[in-house]
Amino acid sequence: MNLCKYLLGIWMILVLLGAFLYAPTALGLGHLSRIIYFHVPLAWVGVLAYFIAMLNSISYLKRGSLLNDQIAVVNAEIGLIFTLLATVTGAVFARYTWGVFWNWDPRQTSIFVLLLIYGAYFILRSAVEDEEKRARMASVFSIIAFISVPFLVFIIPRVYATLHPDPIISFESGFQMDSKMFQVFLASLIGFTGIYGWIASLYYRYLVIRTRIEGDLNNG
Amino acid sequence: MADIYIVLIVSLISWAGIFFYLIRLDLCLKKMEKRYEE
Repeated sequence: MNLCKYLLGIWMILVLLGAFLYAPTALGLGHLSRIIYFHVPLAWVGVLAYFIAMLNSISYLKRGSLLNDQIAVVNAEIGLIFTLLATVTGAVFARYTWGVFWNWDPRQTSIFVLLLIYGAYFILRSAVEDEEKRARMASVFSIIAFISVPFLVFIIPRVYATLHPDPIISFESGFQMDSKMFQVFLASLIGFTGIYGWIASLYYRYLVIRTRIEGDLNNG
Repeated sequence: MADIYIVLIVSLISWAGIFFYLIRLDLCLKKMEKRYEE
């Protein structure tokens, strides 16, 4: 298991080297196009984390195990952080291509709404004292929140005119990416997913220990 | 072109920082888990 962590360390070094030295730049964007190897994987991990949070929320409502609720919280937090990072990298891209960090483009607006929705998830959790009630309400909220994700991430930005570059795979133009760029992009997606898995497992282990210690303290 | 090397070096240093922080966190948790089991 430890070997996997060190392999991930080396993998990400190779991804960085690949992103800056191996992959060619996109026409018209120059070196700025290299942000794709970080911006898209960050957004992908955000959506993945929200999805896992939703699955665990469903499990909690089915089985009533607080363990599932804790996994859902861990994933929602990680999702929020990664979405925030995707927003920041997107804003940097916007600054150098559109001239401003933020201009309420449909993409930016939809990701902002997504951040607000998951921000509300944590406000809801902090507002309810009773553990069972909090877990139940947060689980329902998490499921409803995830229903909005495909609309906000995939549908709305495609319906309205946007300055955002075309998706890599689109219905109109099919698949469009240089093979070297695609190799680095895929490696980055795998690497970021690995980082997410690692952080999620660390966070979960921390919560388990904390719950045990709190339980022991309460029992005297 | 030199700018891209600066960004690369900063990125590598940042990743090294994150990586060793996560490794350290992992070891701390392992120690706590072991102590708790004992």
